[in-house]
Amino acid sequence: MSGLRHAAARTLRAWAARRFGIDALPHTISRRRIYILPSAYGIALAGIIIAMLLAALNYGSNLGLAFAFLMASIALVGMHHCHRNLLGLKVDAQREVDGFAGDLAAMQFVLRNESGLDRWDVEIRCPGTVTGAGKVATSAAVAARAQQQLKLAIPTPRRGITRVTQFELCTRYPFGWFRAWSYVHAPLTIYVAPHPHGERPLSAAGAAHGAAAIADIPGDEDFAGLRTYAPGIPLKHMAWKVLARGREAAVRNYSSIVAQPEWLDWFALEDLEPEARLSQLCRWVLDVDAAGRPYGMRLPGLQLEIGRGAAHRSACLRALASFTVEADA
Amino acid sequence: MSAGRIAYERLLWISGCLVLALVPHIRLIPIWVLGICVAAGAIRLALGARGHDAPPRILRMLIACLAIALLFVRFHTFNGISAGTSLLALMAGLKLLETRTTRDVCVLILIVYFLSLSALLAGESFWLLGYLVGVCWLTTATLLRLTVSEPGPNWRACLRYSGRVLLHAIPLAVVLWLFFPRFAEPFWRVGDAAASANSGLGDSMSPGDITNLALSDDVAFRVRFDGAYPRPQERYWRGPVLYNFDGRTWRRTDANFAAAPAFIAEGPAYRYTVSLEPYPHPWIFTLDWPTGADLPNARMTGDLVLLQSGPVSRPMDVAATSHTLGRFAQDLSPALRLRDLRLPPHSNPRTVEFALQLHREHPQDDEFVRSVLEMLHTQEYYYTLEPPPLGANSVDEFLFETKRGFCGHYASAFAVLMRAAGIPARVVTGYVGGAYNQYAHDWIVRQSDAHAWDEVWIAPRGWTRVDPTAAIDPMRVDRSLRDAQSAIAAADIDLGGNLPWLTDVRMRLDAVRQLWRENILRYNPASQQSLLAHLMIPEPDAQKLVWVLAAGLSLALGWLTWQVRRELRPRLNDALARAYARLCAKLAARGLPRAAHEGAEAYAARIAAIRPDLAAAVVPLCRLYNELRYGRSQSRAAVGQFALAVRAFKPRDSRAS
Repeated sequence: MSGLRHAAARTLRAWAARRFGIDALPHTISRRRIYILPSAYGIALAGIIIAMLLAALNYGSNLGLAFAFLMASIALVGMHHCHRNLLGLKVDAQREVDGFAGDLAAMQFVLRNESGLDRWDVEIRCPGTVTGAGKVATSAAVAARAQQQLKLAIPTPRRGITRVTQFELCTRYPFGWFRAWSYVHAPLTIYVAPHPHGERPLSAAGAAHGAAAIADIPGDEDFAGLRTYAPGIPLKHMAWKVLARGREAAVRNYSSIVAQPEWLDWFALEDLEPEARLSQLCRWVLDVDAAGRPYGMRLPGLQLEIGRGAAHRSACLRALASFTVEADA
Repeated sequence: MSAGRIAYERLLWISGCLVLALVPHIRLIPIWVLGICVAAGAIRLALGARGHDAPPRILRMLIACLAIALLFVRFHTFNGISAGTSLLALMAGLKLLETRTTRDVCVLILIVYFLSLSALLAGESFWLLGYLVGVCWLTTATLLRLTVSEPGPNWRACLRYSGRVLLHAIPLAVVLWLFFPRFAEPFWRVGDAAASANSGLGDSMSPGDITNLALSDDVAFRVRFDGAYPRPQERYWRGPVLYNFDGRTWRRTDANFAAAPAFIAEGPAYRYTVSLEPYPHPWIFTLDWPTGADLPNARMTGDLVLLQSGPVSRPMDVAATSHTLGRFAQDLSPALRLRDLRLPPHSNPRTVEFALQLHREHPQDDEFVRSVLEMLHTQEYYYTLEPPPLGANSVDEFLFETKRGFCGHYASAFAVLMRAAGIPARVVTGYVGGAYNQYAHDWIVRQSDAHAWDEVWIAPRGWTRVDPTAAIDPMRVDRSLRDAQSAIAAADIDLGGNLPWLTDVRMRLDAVRQLWRENILRYNPASQQSLLAHLMIPEPDAQKLVWVLAAGLSLALGWLTWQVRRELRPRLNDALARAYARLCAKLAARGLPRAAHEGAEAYAARIAAIRPDLAAAVVPLCRLYNELRYGRSQSRAAVGQFALAVRAFKPRDSRAS
C-alpha cells in the first residue's frame, strides 16, 4: 500500500518536473501547481459524514440532514483553506549548501507571506535526497506580511556532491483532513566534505614545505607588542591597563600576518588511504581556519593558493567534497 | 497529526466537548452509560493533572468488555437510536480513558461529531440544532488546536477561525439541504423509531391509564381545518376502539369488521389536515366520525378507525374528511352484537344486578342511558386525578364504593352497565377539545386532552356517542384536577383571562414553532417540488432537482472560492488607501511605478521630472492625498472627492505627449 503510494508520488514528481521545468527562485506558488488529496483522517471523516447522511435519511430527520450537510460543507471549506495555506507563498532557497559526511547538512529556505493571512504549519521536504530519508521535513508558521526562515537538516552519510532538483512544500492545516502540496524545481547543491578526522600534526606538514616569508605588515588582527602612543592612533588600541599603572601612555601594536602560512598537502600523506587522506586534509582545514592562520591546499591536479576567511575555507572544503579518487592514485 | 503526547489543557477541552455533546442524550440513554463516560473523563483528567498517562491496557479492556456486555443485556441490539447512541457514548468514554496521543483525540472528535448528529435524530427543536452547531464549533476549534503544531494559534484565534469556517460552510449546507433528494421511505426499519417520542394512548385501557397523560402538555397532534370547524361539543378525536373487557382492562380486537354496519354521513362535511407527532401505533386520530382520508396504505376499519400499515414512526400530515352527524345503515349482525355484549362471567356482579334492575325500570334503551347519566350527575360521583386504587371487580368498587374516578373509570363503568342491560356498547379512546391558535390558524391537541368515552347501539340510528364523564356535576370535579388542568393551561396557550398579553405571546411563539415544524421538520419531496415551481422551473421532477442541486452547489462553491481568496489579498481597509492604490496602479500601467519607499510627495516630484505633462494632474492629487492622510481635516466627503478625481484621472501614454 505504502509502496504503491510512493510509486505514485514518484510518478507525479517526475511528471511535474517535466511539465513545469526549472523555476526561478524566489518562486511564488501558483494555484495550478498545488495538489490536494484527503489524508487518512480526512477519509475517516468522509466515512463518518456518509454514516451521518444515511442515518439522517433513514430516520427522515431534516435536522439530522442539516447537520450532516453542515459537516460536509465544513470539510469542503477546510479543503479550500488547506489549499489557500500554500497559495501565493513565496519561497527562496540557499542554492549551495556545505556539509560533512556522517553529519547533517542544513539547507536553508525562506518563506515569504505577502498576504494578510497567517500561514500555519507549512512544511518543506526534499523527497528522494537520500535513500530512506524521504521523511526529512521541517515545518513553520509564517505570519501575515512576514517572512520565515526554515532549516532543513539533511543527513549526508557520504562525501561527494548531492544535487537536489526538487523540493516539496506541503501543509495539512487547518484540520488535518487534507494534505496540499506543491513541487518547486530548483537546482540546489549540497557539497559534502569528508568527515574531518586524523591525528597527523599540522606543523609537520607545514615544516616540510615551509618556505613562506614572515611579513610584518601593520594591521589590526594579531597582537604584536606595545609601542608609545602617538596622536592619530585609534583609541581602541590604547593599552588602558598600562596607563592605569601610571606609566607612559602606550598602544597595542598589531600586525596582520605574523603566522607562517600552512600548506595542506595531499602528497604529504602518502601512507594513508585516499579517503583517510581527504579526512585528514579536512581536519587540517578546520583547525588552521579556527586558528586564523593562512593556508593553501594541494590536491592532485589542483592547487588552492594561500588565503584566509570563510570563502577560502568553503572553497577548500568544496574541493575536498568534489575530489574524485583515481583508482591508481 | 503527530503522535505526540497530549497536553492536559487539550484533554480538558475535548472532555468538555464530549460532555456537551452528551447533554442532549440525557433522556435517551441509560444513566449508567453517562455515568461511565463522566467517570472515565474524570479519571483521565485526574491522571492527566498529575502528569500520568492512561491506565493500564488490561484494565481498560476489562472495563470496555464489561460495559459493552451490560449494554447488550440492556438493549439486545446495537441498532436504533438509543442503543446505538449508548454504544457510541460508551466508546467515547472509554476512548477518553485511553487517550494518549493526538491521534486518539482525533478519533474522539469524530465520535463527538456523530453523537451530535444522533441527538438530532431524536430531537426536533430549533434550540437543539443551534446548541449542537455550537458544540460542533467548539469541537472544530479543539481539532484545530490539536492539529496545528506548537506554537499554534491560541484558543481565541482557534475559536474565531473555526467560527469563520462554520459561517463559510453555511451557504453550501443550505443548498445541499434544500435540494438533496429525499426518500419517502426509510432504507431499513429500526426498532425504536418512535420509542423516544411520547407513546400517548395505548391499545388497551385499565383504570388510571389516561390519568398519567392528563398532566403532560406534549402536543399529540395539530389540526388545520379547510373552512368551517365543528362546535366544541363535537370536537371528539377518535382513536382506537376497545371491545374486550376482562373485568378490569379494555382491549382492542383484531376481529374482522367485514359485516360491520356502514356509516351514512349526514350534515356538513369537515375537511382538515391532521399533523401527527410520531407514536408507536398504527392508528391515526380523526374527527369523530371519519368518512374519508387521503393516505396510501391506510384503511378505514369497520368501527371507523383510520389504520396505517405500520406505526406512525415519523411525523406525518394526513388530509381527512369527517361528518359529525350520521347514522348506521343496517342492524348489528348477531355475531357482532354478541361480541359487543360480552362481559367476563362472575365479574362485577353488583353492577350487573344493578343494571338489570334499572333496565326493568326503564325498558327503553335511550331512557335507560339517560337514567344512568342522571345517576352519575345527581349522586356523589367525583371526577378526580387521584382515584383510589381498584381491585379485581373494578367497576363494582368504583360505582358503589369509591365513586371517584377519571374519564377511563366512567367510560368503563358505563359500558359495563350498558352491556349488562343488553345494550351493545364499546369504549372509544382519543382526545377531546383542542386549543385554537389564531396565528398559526390551527388547533393544538395535547396529551392532556386524552379522553375515553362510550358508544352504544341504539336502534334505529345505530352507534351513538355517550360521554359519561360529561355528566358529572362540575361542582364535583376535583379541585386537584382543576388545579392540575389550570396549571397545564397556565403553561399552555389556553390561559386567557387575566393575562391576555401572555396568551398572545404564547400563541405567537406557538405559531413560530408551527412554522418551524411545517417548513423545516416536514420538508419533504413535495416541498422540494413546490420550491422548484417557485424557482420557475417547469414540470419539476427528481431529475431537475439534481440539476438544480448541481447548479446551486457550483454557485455556492464559487462564492466560497471567492471568499477564501479574497481574504488572501492584502487588505486595504479605508477608501483613501484604496483610491491612492488605484492612482499608483494607473501610473504604474504607464511605466511609472511607485517605489516601495517613496512617499506621495517624492513620487509626484519624480513623475513631474520624468513626465512634465502629467505634473499638473499628479502633483495636486498627491498633495491632496498627503493632506487627507496626515492633515487635520479628514472628512468623508473629501475622501470621496479624492476617489472621484483619481477615477477621472487618465494618464496618457508618453508617446502621445
